[in-house]
Amino acid sequence: MSSTNTSSDLSSEMEVDAFRRLFPLRFHERHLLESIRPDARPLGKARDTSLALGAVASAHGSALAKIGCTTMLAAIKMEVMTPTTESPDEGCIVIDFHMPPICSPIVRPGRPAEAAPVVSKQLSDTILSSGMIDLKELSLVSGKAAWMAYLDIYCLDADGALFDAALLSAVAAFSHLEIPVVSLNDDGRVVVVSEEDAGKLEKEAVNKEKRKLKLSTISFSLTCILHKNYILADPTAEEESIMETLMTVVLDSSFQLVSLYKPGGPVLACTSAIQDCVALTRQRVKELQKILNEAISDMEVD
Amino acid sequence: MYPCFNFSSAVFEMGNTKVIAAVYGPREVRCEYSMANFSTGDRMRKPKGDRRSTEISLVIRQTMEACILTHLMPRSQIDIFVQVLQADGGTRSACINAATLALADAGIPMRDLVTSCSAGYLNSTALLDLNYVEDSAGGPDVTVGILPKSDKVTLLQMDAKLPMDTFENVMQLAIEGCKAVATYIREVLLENTKQLEYRRGV
Repeated sequence: MSSTNTSSDLSSEMEVDAFRRLFPLRFHERHLLESIRPDARPLGKARDTSLALGAVASAHGSALAKIGCTTMLAAIKMEVMTPTTESPDEGCIVIDFHMPPICSPIVRPGRPAEAAPVVSKQLSDTILSSGMIDLKELSLVSGKAAWMAYLDIYCLDADGALFDAALLSAVAAFSHLEIPVVSLNDDGRVVVVSEEDAGKLEKEAVNKEKRKLKLSTISFSLTCILHKNYILADPTAEEESIMETLMTVVLDSSFQLVSLYKPGGPVLACTSAIQDCVALTRQRVKELQKILNEAISDMEVD
Repeated sequence: MYPCFNFSSAVFEMGNTKVIAAVYGPREVRCEYSMANFSTGDRMRKPKGDRRSTEISLVIRQTMEACILTHLMPRSQIDIFVQVLQADGGTRSACINAATLALADAGIPMRDLVTSCSAGYLNSTALLDLNYVEDSAGGPDVTVGILPKSDKVTLLQMDAKLPMDTFENVMQLAIEGCKAVATYIREVLLENTKQLEYRRGV
């Protein structure tokens, strides 16, 4: 490659970069006219997704989910607690979503991300209302002891579609979760039995072996951006900041609608746009189910 | 090292301790150390802002400040964020190693790499890189950070009692651990640079 060629390539690269920074909307619209996006994806396609179960060895259940560059690490820790008097047979799930400064340059120690509590609440509502987990399964001794599951999701890289990646990692962590073995100790309190003691128990174990949670239905989601007549699936952070109207659709494994979330935005969605989004989500649910099942069977082989 | 977004980052694992570090900048050097809620055996209620986290943030900041050539970037600030994902002893050392990698990935001019390793003394044996169980056994814990090329010690922390000659053995062991980490880090950086060259078509 001659030196003049490389310098002209570099200068045209810089021109494109400059145009992208100065006129982001025109840059993206120019791509949309050709039905493509700057990263060469067609409008309805999501980014490469990968899942790894058991990423955190010290937690009872964990998963690392990556959609494109967006990375979420979810981990579940179980603690024993006394159930409330209104629901003595039910345990409890606490979901928390964190965006540490590592995930994005706009998050700094004095300035937490706006998106963090929003996604946290959305996740909490979606997971608890979808009926994915029967809280009665988390009960140990009726009225006396039940499990409190703390699900913490850390965003390690925020590049758009945070809710999708967070939900995926949460669902994967619950699929990976193994409830530890417990027994009653001398004071009549429930204690977690460690691996070494499990073989030589004097007292009866309250639950015999580590068991997995039964998930009745698994929810998956897809976030889309609405811009003029275009619908872009799985936006990156750049696209989200330029075209602000987002819509998130959550479907369960039988393609029933669990949640629909469109928090305002300059573009109004007509019924056909909503139906198109739901159709794109159905497509995505099939992809994600496959990815989750592959990740689970990879774990079992190990 | 992940090529996403416009900052630099690195992940470092020492056994079961996993740490991720990100560097933004250059502005002046600031450091924040934070532990994930699920990183330790029992779930933590206060992952940052407690005394231990503040102390470790200070230690990492001063250690890195010693080797960054700040005079080449006047009136600039460098932010180092360290997030512990899994803690099993030696978090301080893993954080310093991750920060070094992230700074190198960011292309920030440094005097030398800073590598760190801990060592202890249990049952009359010097042990390198204690994990959580060994650390809680109550023996001494020596953490050393060095600049491997110039053999200079920038960080030295110790708790519990140790006679002077045993201390020298333990410190020597820690320094050898640091050098081993430095060799590994250099290999990783070289490999990464080759990948970058390959992608740019050089």
